[in-house]
Formats: sequence, structure tokens, C-alpha cells
Amino acid sequence: MSYPSEDTLRRATAFVAALGVGVATYIAIAESGGGSPVCLAGGSGCKTVAESSYSHVAGVNIAVFGVVGYLLLLATAFFANDLARFGAFAVSLGGFGYSIFLTYVELFKIEAICQWCVASAVLMTILFLISATRLIAYGGNELEAAR
Amino acid sequence: MNETDRRTKLMQFAAGAVFLAIVVVVALIVVNSGSDGGDAENIEGAAEVSSALQGIPQNEMVLGDPKAPVELVEFGDLQCPVCKGFAEEILPPIIENQVKNGEAKIDFRNFTIIGPESVDAGAAALAAGAQGRGWYFVELFYKNQGIEGSGYADDAFVEAIAKAAGVEDMAKWNEDRKLMRVEVEETSQEAQQLGFSGTPSFAIEGPGTKGLETLGTPGSTGAFEEAIEEAG
Repeated sequence: MSYPSEDTLRRATAFVAALGVGVATYIAIAESGGGSPVCLAGGSGCKTVAESSYSHVAGVNIAVFGVVGYLLLLATAFFANDLARFGAFAVSLGGFGYSIFLTYVELFKIEAICQWCVASAVLMTILFLISATRLIAYGGNELEAAR
Repeated sequence: MNETDRRTKLMQFAAGAVFLAIVVVVALIVVNSGSDGGDAENIEGAAEVSSALQGIPQNEMVLGDPKAPVELVEFGDLQCPVCKGFAEEILPPIIENQVKNGEAKIDFRNFTIIGPESVDAGAAALAAGAQGRGWYFVELFYKNQGIEGSGYADDAFVEAIAKAAGVEDMAKWNEDRKLMRVEVEETSQEAQQLGFSGTPSFAIEGPGTKGLETLGTPGSTGAFEEAIEEAG
């Protein structure tokens, strides 16, 4: 099976992670003063989600964890070694898993959808797919790492 | 370690991480799937209530067109599980049809029979009503009602309900709810004077009635529809 080159996957990781940093930073800033992100298509989904108890873990806005996660993923794009490959896979797996949980919470517990959270979930899913591909295709490949 | 060994080890770590992630996500969902209600940290159903009441006028605790010819009065206790059942099973079709089409309006009045927290909760609902969010408060309270007498209906809980109900001026709400305990006592006395002893109890007034007539506790949506038709 042929895979995209690792350079392509790293560039894709950097691009999507940068978008993720932007989305998560916006959510974190919008909620920092007790407000909420503005849903572009209108509605109060973002406000409802922001005001729910699920928006914070141990008193910290989960968007802050998102910012940190995307920054770590962005950092892994600058290295072509196994640590970066596995790091990207592990961080994006964690983000992807938590996105599944948050989507469940939005649909069945809060009963409201925030577009920004959906956007972040989509970006994290893409990053997980890229990172998994990178690990499967180039994991353990020192030649690639040496380039 | 050669390339093959390194790769095998990486894949083993990756498989372990995937397994761990699946376990954690499933555990998170299972832990969060159940709710006994009464949890100030986890108010549910705001969107559902908002959707059900959207577009219906609210004036203090009266839901519906102020000019509606028939007024259905509910005497309820927010901590009462039977009232919750009525709010979730029997009254929604009445709200969806007779109230939305302007045939009837529903006035929620407190009849506190369970305990002092019912008075606090009732006053909190009236204070929300002063900001046009009374029925959002009542419906959300019922949706998140905890186990009767468990002490869940404390300040944190009613405050969380008020916020989820869309009360905008929380400082005013906080002041108002202290003053409105008197009104809760008054409507409770009114219910007793009407001969009611349990909640929810209903009364109705319209062109076809002689003043406010008691209905007791009709057991079905159909019985309410009939009473509204006769009173109209």
C-alpha cells in the first residue's frame, strides 16, 4: 500500500493543528469572561454548551486543554522521528477519544450543539487519521527520520 | 534494536494506547449516562424546554396568550414527582395545542406541601417569572427534579436552574426570590381554601364556568381537553 510521503503528512499535521489552535483559542478566549463563542449560523447551542458543567474539568476550561493539545501536535510536525510520530498519534488519539465523549455529551446530555466544538472534533479526527497513517507508514523508519 | 523490532514495539504501544482510549471513552460515557436528577452541576433539558415553549407568551407565571378565554390554573409543588409526571406526560399536548392556538393559558401557582425547600424553589420560580422565564424555570426544575426529600433543592440547584432557564439579571432574581416567599404562602393558602390537599391540583376559569372552578387532578390529557372545551 502506498502512503503519502512523511513530509506531506507533517505539513498536513502542521496545517490542521494550526487551525485547531485557532479554534480552541477562540473558544477559550470567548468563554474566559463568562461568555460563550458565537454560533455563526445563529442559535444558542454554543451558549448552552459553554454554560454546561461539561465545559470545565477541575475548574479549567476544556478549550485550554485543546489549545495545549493542538500546540503539541503542531510541535510534532517539526520532527521526523519515532518520538514525534508516536507523540502525535497518542495526543491525537486522546483528543479524538475525548471528542467522541464530548459529542455524546452534546447530543444526549446537554442537548445542544456548538459549531466550534464540532469544528474542533472534526479537526482532531483528521489529525488522528493523519497521525495514525504516519505512524503505520513510517514508524520505526530511521531512514525517514534521518532525512 | 533493529528497525523491525523498533517498529513492532511502536505498533504494540499504539495498540495498547488505542485499547486504553476505548476503555476510557466507554467508561466516561457509562459514568455520565445515568442521572438521578437534582444535580446543580448537570442541568439537563434546557434546549428541549426552550424548543417546547418557544414563541408562547409568558407573563409572570402565566403561559399563553393573555387574551385566551380559558385559564387553567395548576397548583403544584416543584419537588412533587407527580407534578413532574404531569409536566412531562400529560400537559405537553395541551401546551402544544390549546395554549399555542390561543384557546387556553396556564397559570402555575405554588402549593407547597413537601417542605421548606419547596417554598424557596417556588419563590425562585416566581422571581424567574418576573423576568419572563417562569415557565422555563418550572419545566427545567421538573426535568432535573431530584429524589423527594433528599435536600437537593438548595440554593445552588435553584440558581443553576435559573441560569439554565435564561434568567438574565441574576442579582434581581436573587433579590426578588426573597420577597416572593410571601406569594408562595398565599397561593398555598388559596389552594387549601379551594379544598385541595395534594399536588398537582387544577382549577379552571372561562366563559363557560362560574368563576374559578376546581378540577381536582384530571388523570389524562383528554380530560384536560374536555375541561378546556367546556370552559371555553
